[in-house]
Amino acid sequence: MSARATPGVAGAALRSLYPIVIGFTLAYLMQTVVAVSIDDYYSKVLIDIGIAIVLGVSLGIVNGYAGQFSLGHAGFMAIGGYTAAAIVYYGSIKLFGTKAIYGGSLGPGELLLCAGCVAGGALAAVAGWLVGQPSLRLRGDYLAIVTLGFGEIIRVLIKQTDDVVLSEKKVAAASWWSLMDNLGGGFGFIGGPRYIDAKNPFWVWLFVVVVCLVAYRLKYSNRGRQLLAVRENEIAAEAMGIKTTKAKVSAFMTSAFFAGIGGGLYAHELGNSMRPADLGFQKSIDIVIIVVLGGMGSISGAVIAAIAVTLLPELFRSFAEYRMIAYALALIIVMLLRPQGLLGLQELWEVEWRAVGRSIVTAPARLVRWVVTAPTRARAALKAAADRRQEDRS
Amino acid sequence: MTAAAPVAPLSVARPAPALAAVRLAKSFGGLKAVTDLSFELPKGGLHGLIGPNGAGKTTVFNLLTGVYKPDAGAVHVGGQPMTGKKPSEIAQAGLVRTFQNIRLFGDLSVLDNVRIAAGVRARSGLWRSLLRTPLYLREEAEIRARARQLLDVLGIAHRADEIAKSLPYGDQRRLEIARALATRPTVLLLDEPVAGMNTVEKKAMRGLIQSLRAQFDVSILLIEHDMGLVMDICEQITVIDHGVTIARGAPASIQSNPAVIEAYLGVPDEPAPTAGEIGA
Repeated sequence: MSARATPGVAGAALRSLYPIVIGFTLAYLMQTVVAVSIDDYYSKVLIDIGIAIVLGVSLGIVNGYAGQFSLGHAGFMAIGGYTAAAIVYYGSIKLFGTKAIYGGSLGPGELLLCAGCVAGGALAAVAGWLVGQPSLRLRGDYLAIVTLGFGEIIRVLIKQTDDVVLSEKKVAAASWWSLMDNLGGGFGFIGGPRYIDAKNPFWVWLFVVVVCLVAYRLKYSNRGRQLLAVRENEIAAEAMGIKTTKAKVSAFMTSAFFAGIGGGLYAHELGNSMRPADLGFQKSIDIVIIVVLGGMGSISGAVIAAIAVTLLPELFRSFAEYRMIAYALALIIVMLLRPQGLLGLQELWEVEWRAVGRSIVTAPARLVRWVVTAPTRARAALKAAADRRQEDRS
Repeated sequence: MTAAAPVAPLSVARPAPALAAVRLAKSFGGLKAVTDLSFELPKGGLHGLIGPNGAGKTTVFNLLTGVYKPDAGAVHVGGQPMTGKKPSEIAQAGLVRTFQNIRLFGDLSVLDNVRIAAGVRARSGLWRSLLRTPLYLREEAEIRARARQLLDVLGIAHRADEIAKSLPYGDQRRLEIARALATRPTVLLLDEPVAGMNTVEKKAMRGLIQSLRAQFDVSILLIEHDMGLVMDICEQITVIDHGVTIARGAPASIQSNPAVIEAYLGVPDEPAPTAGEIGA
């Protein structure tokens, strides 16, 4: 009996964790093969893409799967980022006696970075619970308003903090409690060791694999389908026995957790400024764009959009200045031609490419038809809305 | 298995009814939508709730399923009090409904619509789902098997991979019933299941509703405007008008009840019967 049970347990453990092994291998290869063989500039762009993937895919869990529009992802990113930065910077001095990079690959310094990111994620998840509990009980656009305000509150709070304590002696003497207020204020968290650079992208890719794995397994699980049910028809979902508030809060917390990790990675990438101004509303919108363009509920869509949104400003330097205009136009066009986003709910490998080809060929004709028929449809939509109100009342 | 043997109304020492409403009342501002509504649906029963347009039928469903909180009165499912509970809790207790204006998970596949309902009591939480533990994998297999089986019974198995909102109207109604049954209900509330159907579809749906009771061991409460269907398959009918119960009884007695005829057709020459008048 036990002889049969043992391989069962081992098999189950292997089945549940083998993607992590693949993730480790991938991250290791990115570090040891890719990062050394390409130009530092490209390696850094790849890292930026990786962080954008972590942020985009995590936001997709709440905006895409659960259909709850959150505009505060940068707020969770800031919580995670500042938590990780404080743990790594002050922790380095207290534990290792230096604020420089300490230890090599997978050495104590990098493990502290990993722990800092996870702690940042956990704190962001707690914040997600606090924000989500009241606002996710309500249907409609309340979450967007609340999260928008939340992001701003976090930004302003961080701005009020004192300067980073630069002297190693003073840090060693101070208590953790008193250091919590020394996050750099408006100047940003400066002086910390930057463990992630063009030659050290390991942790970024590890977390990219983890967030994609979590999003994928969630999407195709019973829990994930419950989230999709909430998004599709919350009244029906509740009537079938799904605890909709609980489902939404748990999705929101998962999303916030990985936003916090994304923030932790961002904070330790060489060349990034960790100022409150960089983690404001604008950043939230950047991440929302990834989800909306890629497809509400598509992981591979978010990955593609993250690549596009990171590459475009690099390819066209002047694009960075005009990107808000470009994003607005892109959003309008997507909403007109493909309101569900590039891939919608599908993944890359589920797409029927023949249908896509047909839809691309007919796109100009559809655009013309859309413009011509706009007034008729507007009238019909108004009438339908009035009918629906009537129906809801009955 | 044959449906329409009239059930003796109030026998003594019965088991708890599958569903009981006790003096339910609900008003919206000055409008009394439901007044003093009581009824019992015995285990395995098939009862009808009828009334003219705007009589308060759907409000009754919303009270029973917890969408509205009643101003007074109580709802019991299988003897358990449900008053003040959330719709999801009431559904988990075994009372599940379909909707008059179909509410499917439109962008998801037909199979996923049913799988969602089949999984509402699954024990695997977030961690088990992410780690794909043996329990989770077993539950997923069970959920899929149950969903497939229900699609088979409802005759829409060949559409399992289609997007729900692309189904023809009749199949959407069937999918709603499949989804409701997937949650393993003890009581099924059907809100106008044959609305908008043609004669052939109605006939098929009538046979289906009758067979469901035996096959899934559910009690059914039906709202319907189609008198032919209601009179044919229901054992007992409650008639409400302006939120007031005006008649209750077997189909034959309802058809000849003057209060019902007045509510539907109007009888201008005679004085209106009082609200308390009960048929049967």
